[in-house]
Amino acid sequence: MELNPSDIPDTRLIGYTCPHIPIEILSSTGCKPYCLLHGDYALMQQGTRYARIDACPLVRANIAYVIENKSKFAALVGTTGCDMSRRMFDILGEHTRIPVYLMHMPRTDNRQIFSNEIDWLVKQLEYLSGEKITERLVREIESWETVRRIMRELDAKRMSRPTTLLTSDFHTAAQYYYKGEVNIPTTFSEKPSSKPRVYLIGSEVSYESGDFLRLLEDDLSIVGDFVCGLSRFLNISISEKNLSGIKEAYYNQPPCIYRRPNRVFYDHVAGQIKKRICDGIIGFTLDYCDSYEFELKKMEERFRLPLLRIRTDYSFQKISQLKTRITAFGEMLAP
Amino acid sequence: MNEGNSKREILTPRERFGLLLIDENPDRCNIIPLITSHAAHIARIPLSKYYTDGKAMAQAQIIALEEYRHDALSFFSEVGIIAEAMGSDFDYPDDDLPVLKTPALTKRSLSSIDIPDPKNDKRLPVYLEALEYAYATVGDKIPLLAYVPAPFTTGMMLSVPNTFLIQTIRHPDLVHDIMKICLQAAIEFCYHIINAGGLPIIVDPLASSSVISPKAYEEFALPYERKLIDFLHRYDLDIILHICGETEPILELLPNTGADLISLDKVDISLALDKLSKKMRIVGNFDTSKIAFSSPSEIEKEAKEMVRKGMVSSKGYIPSTGCEVPIRTPIENVKAFINSSKEIAWYWD
Amino acid sequence: MYKDPKPKKITMDEWSVRFKNIDNKTIKKFVYYNNHDWGLYLQPPATFMVYGTRELRRLRFDNSLAALRMWGFVFNESERLFRARQSGKKIVATMGDLGTVSIIVMAFPDCIPFYPECIWWTPFFNESTVLLDLASELGAPEAACFSRAALAAFVKKAYFPKPDYIFASTGATCDDYSCIMQSIEHLGYDFMWLEVPLRRSPAKHVSMDSLVKTKNGFEYPRRFEEYLIKEYEKVWQKMVEITGIDDQNLLMVSIKKANQVRTLVEKIKRTTYQAGNAPFPALELMTIEFGNLYGYADMDEWIRILEMIYETIVERTKKNIGIISEDAIPIAWVNPTADPYLLDYVERIGLRVVDTEYVINQALVEIDEQIEPFRALAQSFMQASLIGSTAQRISSINKAMRTGKIEGILITNMLGGSHCAMETKLMERLLKDKPVLAIDVPAPFGITEQIKTRLQAFAEVLHERRK
Repeated sequence: MELNPSDIPDTRLIGYTCPHIPIEILSSTGCKPYCLLHGDYALMQQGTRYARIDACPLVRANIAYVIENKSKFAALVGTTGCDMSRRMFDILGEHTRIPVYLMHMPRTDNRQIFSNEIDWLVKQLEYLSGEKITERLVREIESWETVRRIMRELDAKRMSRPTTLLTSDFHTAAQYYYKGEVNIPTTFSEKPSSKPRVYLIGSEVSYESGDFLRLLEDDLSIVGDFVCGLSRFLNISISEKNLSGIKEAYYNQPPCIYRRPNRVFYDHVAGQIKKRICDGIIGFTLDYCDSYEFELKKMEERFRLPLLRIRTDYSFQKISQLKTRITAFGEMLAP
Repeated sequence: MNEGNSKREILTPRERFGLLLIDENPDRCNIIPLITSHAAHIARIPLSKYYTDGKAMAQAQIIALEEYRHDALSFFSEVGIIAEAMGSDFDYPDDDLPVLKTPALTKRSLSSIDIPDPKNDKRLPVYLEALEYAYATVGDKIPLLAYVPAPFTTGMMLSVPNTFLIQTIRHPDLVHDIMKICLQAAIEFCYHIINAGGLPIIVDPLASSSVISPKAYEEFALPYERKLIDFLHRYDLDIILHICGETEPILELLPNTGADLISLDKVDISLALDKLSKKMRIVGNFDTSKIAFSSPSEIEKEAKEMVRKGMVSSKGYIPSTGCEVPIRTPIENVKAFINSSKEIAWYWD
Repeated sequence: MYKDPKPKKITMDEWSVRFKNIDNKTIKKFVYYNNHDWGLYLQPPATFMVYGTRELRRLRFDNSLAALRMWGFVFNESERLFRARQSGKKIVATMGDLGTVSIIVMAFPDCIPFYPECIWWTPFFNESTVLLDLASELGAPEAACFSRAALAAFVKKAYFPKPDYIFASTGATCDDYSCIMQSIEHLGYDFMWLEVPLRRSPAKHVSMDSLVKTKNGFEYPRRFEEYLIKEYEKVWQKMVEITGIDDQNLLMVSIKKANQVRTLVEKIKRTTYQAGNAPFPALELMTIEFGNLYGYADMDEWIRILEMIYETIVERTKKNIGIISEDAIPIAWVNPTADPYLLDYVERIGLRVVDTEYVINQALVEIDEQIEPFRALAQSFMQASLIGSTAQRISSINKAMRTGKIEGILITNMLGGSHCAMETKLMERLLKDKPVLAIDVPAPFGITEQIKTRLQAFAEVLHERRK
């Protein structure tokens, strides 16, 4: 059921990186919003031709993916969200002719900057596509709101006690959303699980992370997450079906960990961990992902739950060791 | 690292010492018992190796540091090192400190005595080697105190001590001449110590009131201590002056030396604080016979009492021993002193 | 008065010998905060070595009195900050923007700004991992900018006093320090976060903004400047709250002072880089450039030091006397090196630094004194190194390469540093076929023979190309 790039109909894509970029605006151009969430190890290795080995594995993989598939992309939209991700667009601008639009995503609480940047993006994309985006927004909002509603229903199954939906299955469905497909699969085998309940926080889970999630779920139940590539977008809920509504919904979603100060992030996650009755936390970080690496200690102090740190470059070179650690963590959490 | 106290030590000894020198309260007092040749006992090496082999001296100091976790290393064996380099002869007992055998001025005239070259003459290079080794090994974390005999003490080691004392009365000009050359020798040694990473600490035990009168101190010792300290102040170094033995009669003279820290021995700490603590930082002054012979519990009690008194010093206080820790002092006793001091010597919450 | 000998780079030991000839009157002449009790700072490198600055044993220094004065002043900074506090001044940490917020803080009487991130040199000067080890214990990853030492310094409170207030700039700039600042805030410090905008080149066809052009030719939407102005107004208000003083004329005075420094440094750099023989060493010049950030906590004294250095350099240039070999190959240096030894080392192997991109462009440009001060500050900041594209960042170096003024480029990176990881390969591409050497600066005391060999090979390649 996993979605492969070759399965995507021959529509051009607008690549994007950040959950604060409104996909309704991107899809109003007639293109598919395609989140750059590639974490394939081979792609990442190819990416070292363009960025150093100490660049984020996700960024390296996506650079390689976009350069290899440049004809598919009508445009790229990024933000200043994280520095490596922002600089990825410098590299892609140099190696491809794909139009690049880089938004300044405020790190501090600054609604005005965000609003102005959305207006700017709309103008750029209207010029690029020749479409009057604001006229197509209502349809796109409705369409994507429907997808998010369905995904929330799936999330509720993850969250239920006992949980009945695997996060690896949720991930499969979420891939459709991230790849701009509205027809998401909704039928998964549902089995109640009594494994220890954990919350997943950290760096991006990639399209290729299914095996990793399944490895975790051999011993644990992932009942919630605050991770790009999984359920971050569920916090977006557009009530007013116009550009203002989009701005409100996208700005008001719980901020990333790199928001300064990041206490709203902590408050949100703390609330989720409580709501989802978690026994432990998985702190998942990609190599050189400072935003999370710096915060793991704080998370342990703040959330006061056992936290298993998993750092990876998306490879499975240490899978046996990882398996042992996950199993031990599961045993530790088991009642 | 936190043996003997429950608080977490955030600072390294070097950071702690640095704060003291700029008139800031560190996390806790620097605790610097004068662990000199006692280090050889801890390292289980013969004393003769300790004071003739720079690397051995440094390693012994580092081993003592690992054992005690005090706040500065003390490079010293005995007060004759400059005099020896100027021509006095010393015996080197295998397991005791060097002993003055033939003072230089009994063999030759003052005019024939040269300023020694610390890189080459007698055991001065031992100290420089020890400093360089320790500096490279632990110099980022801990200050290295290099003890330099003051001119008066060196002068007495150039002569037969009794004769020298008589000369202070009968031939004061001659004594001043001796002092001048001893001052130059001390300056030259300090210069090399600084370049090896050590902080000179001036020791003038033979200028204490146990040996000479306050008047003699003021005339023959103090001016040269002052000149030596003035030289070191050109480098903006904060200088400790250590005078062991009796110092009560000269307490009020001590600020005139220009020393930034005064290390005292046999004096009532309350009196010293009263007279000096607004002008100098106080170092001292646990009774060394007690550290050698009392029980750990007695030491703990008295050390705490001393630290409590000392910490009121407005310019800062270093709990220390009044003189060198006796060589064969039981380890438990030194630990009792250090750990009990650490328990209560906190400035930060 | 000490008379400078023939220009030369000398060791710490040689400085100690020379220091004997400096009279007490000269030593007492130079003081910070105009205080003759504790403000003396003219000391030889050996003094700082005694207090733990271990790398001084293997560095070589310029032998002028001006350089000695500079080093004494710079190494005294920690003490100076504590003395400032003891004498009733307010200490304000201005983190992350490197060069602008400090000017606002300095406008307030008895307020001393400083950049805690500059402590990143301390582990290297001290050849010590004490700060980095504690930073790791506090949660900083090992593959991150060495400025993580600042996190440990905030805990230790032994390198600078606890600031009265902290301004922290974040946004379209490097991630590492943003994360470090967040970790510092977690320690319980009181912060004001400021937004640093992106310097986005305007779209060719569609623009909703009026544009501003920087002196170096980069355009950006005016609204980004407006964002900054609002941030600077917030800083001003906070400082008014802290000090009870609200006089914007003082800001003009502060800007003039900053410009005085910037102009002097520009003259120093230009004179040095254009001279036939290098009249001043690269390590001293990097130290001079970074003085633009806040004058090492005493701007007035720093100006006097710069004037003395400039006189020394002019004098040497007139006589065409240099401190390194005449046929040294001119190179550009990109990213400041955390380990000062590298700057000294390249001069030993026949390279000469004649252009730099030390991520502080914003602190080097002159601030417009003819316009409203907050706008002037915003415009100066919009020329910052890290808020634009990589191509912009190296455009001046690229230009110098084309005219033959530079024959090679040395990039010093840090493993895991966010912009280092992403920019280096792109820079190499943008610099086309020009010789570029990129190296990772290792942890303290980690410059191995391997790194030296790479640098030597780079120097040999450049010398061969000349033939």
